[in-house]
Amino acid sequence: MLEKIKSNFNTQTWVLIPIAIGLNIAVGQIVLVLKLPVFLDSIGTVMVGVLCGPWAGALTGALSNVIWGIAFDPGAFPWWPVAFFIGYMAGRMANWGFFKSWWRVVVTGFVIALTAAIVSTPISVYLFGGITASGSSFITAYLMQTGQGVLQAVLSTGFLTEPVDKITTAMLAFAIILGLPKRTISGYPNAKNVETQTESKTELYIALGVVVLLILFAVFLLQGMIASLSG
Amino acid sequence: MAFVNLKNVTYKYPLTDKPALQNINLQIKEGEFVAIVGPNGAGKSTLCYTLAGFAPHFFKGELSGTVEVAGKISNQSTLDEWVLNVGLAFQNPFNQISGAKYTVFEEIAFGLENIGIPRDEMKKRVEDAMTLTGITDLADRSPYSLSGGQQQRVALTSILVMRPKLLVLDEPTSQMDPIGTREVFGTIRKMAEEGMTVVLVEHKVEWIAEFADRVIAMHNGQVLLEGNPSEVLTSNVLIKNGFGLSRYTSAAREAKKLGIWKKEKLPVTLDEAVEGFKK
Amino acid sequence: MRERLSFYIKRDSVLHRLNPLTKLTLTMALILIAFLSPWYWTPHFILLAAVLPLSFAGRVFPEFIKTALRLILPAATFLFLMQAIFQPVGETVIFKFYFLDVTRESLMFAFRNATRIFVMVSSFTLFLLTTHPSELMSDLSRRGLPGQFAYVIISTLQILPQIQAKAQTIIAAQRSRGLDTESTFFKRAGAIVPLVGPLVFGSFIEVEERAIAIEARGFTSKNLKTSLQEIADPSFERTVRWVLILLIIISALLNLWPS
Repeated sequence: MLEKIKSNFNTQTWVLIPIAIGLNIAVGQIVLVLKLPVFLDSIGTVMVGVLCGPWAGALTGALSNVIWGIAFDPGAFPWWPVAFFIGYMAGRMANWGFFKSWWRVVVTGFVIALTAAIVSTPISVYLFGGITASGSSFITAYLMQTGQGVLQAVLSTGFLTEPVDKITTAMLAFAIILGLPKRTISGYPNAKNVETQTESKTELYIALGVVVLLILFAVFLLQGMIASLSG
Repeated sequence: MAFVNLKNVTYKYPLTDKPALQNINLQIKEGEFVAIVGPNGAGKSTLCYTLAGFAPHFFKGELSGTVEVAGKISNQSTLDEWVLNVGLAFQNPFNQISGAKYTVFEEIAFGLENIGIPRDEMKKRVEDAMTLTGITDLADRSPYSLSGGQQQRVALTSILVMRPKLLVLDEPTSQMDPIGTREVFGTIRKMAEEGMTVVLVEHKVEWIAEFADRVIAMHNGQVLLEGNPSEVLTSNVLIKNGFGLSRYTSAAREAKKLGIWKKEKLPVTLDEAVEGFKK
Repeated sequence: MRERLSFYIKRDSVLHRLNPLTKLTLTMALILIAFLSPWYWTPHFILLAAVLPLSFAGRVFPEFIKTALRLILPAATFLFLMQAIFQPVGETVIFKFYFLDVTRESLMFAFRNATRIFVMVSSFTLFLLTTHPSELMSDLSRRGLPGQFAYVIISTLQILPQIQAKAQTIIAAQRSRGLDTESTFFKRAGAIVPLVGPLVFGSFIEVEERAIAIEARGFTSKNLKTSLQEIADPSFERTVRWVLILLIIISALLNLWPS
């Protein structure tokens, strides 16, 4: 275990982490200027997870929140586990080969989104009683007013709002990694995670199937929510 | 026994086909000040990285032949042991600031903290090194608030303070003015006289002629020519291979064609040129 | 833009002189007790009887209040309103707003939650105002935190303003080439790549040289690291830390106790 964690960290990893945290924050601010319905503020975390490994990604995420807390808003501290698991999941999925083609990256983004929604739920519920100072809490509040339990309302809100952001993040990270010179990437511990493959037809069909299933899953979730809204 | 001994060294970066260094043989005595010249892509920086252990320990890739410094063989050592003997400073000063420190004094102490030098000795060594390079007045400044030239001095001091036996410098004065450059070269010369071996990559050839003991001209990853500065730096071989000569050498060459320059030997520095034209 | 990202204000006070770990423990204790204690008024009490007096002791009261108001008040107020209006607890309805019932219980609930958040953020702010980041990291490294963590935290704080400045430059450059942040959704979405691309590419290219530079200075040395900074840690502070930890444990036990 300890050896596995250590294998994520060489000097390039340590140097990349501060830069990745800086990118999280700067990219988040750029997107704010563009007024898009995404944050993209975990792009650096995802890239470290993919290139260096799950533990390096997790550390980047957690520290990103700590730094955000130190530098801008101490209210960001309690959310560090969310960022931790975003980085971890990005690394895990990449280790499983899910960062080698567009289809797989979309799946990775979706899995990261689900992870983020699940991890943020208990924090939101126990610390804030489900209603935080973020805009998406309006949805949660509405769901709670319609009679849903706190846990269910918070979780549904997460499942609704996270995927767009996290899938976009994963795809942008993939585009950047594809564009970087191979030599720049070769020094990171898990550089092999992004050696892109030309996909065979069967793989493409499997991927297509997975995406369709994911969409069905999302629709199922939405339906459940609509049912509980009208019920 | 040479202090630095390269035998049949060939090195290839990963993901490349052509070796960056080809069959290099090079011996350097302890306390010698050797300058390396050559056009872009000649392998000067790669040679620096090889001497400093980063090729192959950091870049991976394939190294054949033996690289020996201070009685140790690169292929049989680890990078963290190697850097205790060999110090490296390079061109871009901005990327050499660790970022982990808020003041220049702390920045210079960073390396000593890493290798575990006791606090009192650390302070003394930092103060001495700063005096040597003339940056004591910058001690409390943020490394990020400095000019490029000042940052280069800090980068050089940060390596000197580690007291390496071999100092490898890759264009360490590129952002300094002539006065600053002269001061820094004077310091490096002094270090060499005190027994530190110095390998320096430099474009400003007139400085090399003044300060270095020996010049190595590289081309296409190979050693093209080596010898004392005034011979190598005025050689016709260099011009044929597209090297930049010092402006004094170029001027005297033209003058020689017109019969104005009477001496056999061409000048490299301003002083030599003035001396030669007087006659 | 601030050149260094830290709240730290250099002053001489009791709080400034405390060992960084003692201050960190104190901060954690204030926050955890505010969240864990089952007594309703604990967070309010901690805010008035501990955090505020400490800001005087640290001689940073004006800065503390300014930061607190700028940073926390908007969020805490928003949180209070959201929770008061939307939290469906309690029976005693005070007033009705369309389909929403604001009850006495939801108001009480919201008031305590907002105060807890206020305690959390203000204690951290106070800690950051009186503790220099490098002092904290040196002290934690001395106690066994791997040196790489100190490197990561401090260099992030120093690199961040530079990355932000670079981002501003890129935004300005793209604006002069006709980037319009008011245009259609698809045009704005298409602008992500030219804005984010150069920033990320440039940063990645730097990594290799930065890594070489710190390796050349013994970053991966297996020797035991030493520290230039000397940080005092008198024995009575150790006692204080244990007492604080004990208080946290007591609040946790009280919280778990079925009343």
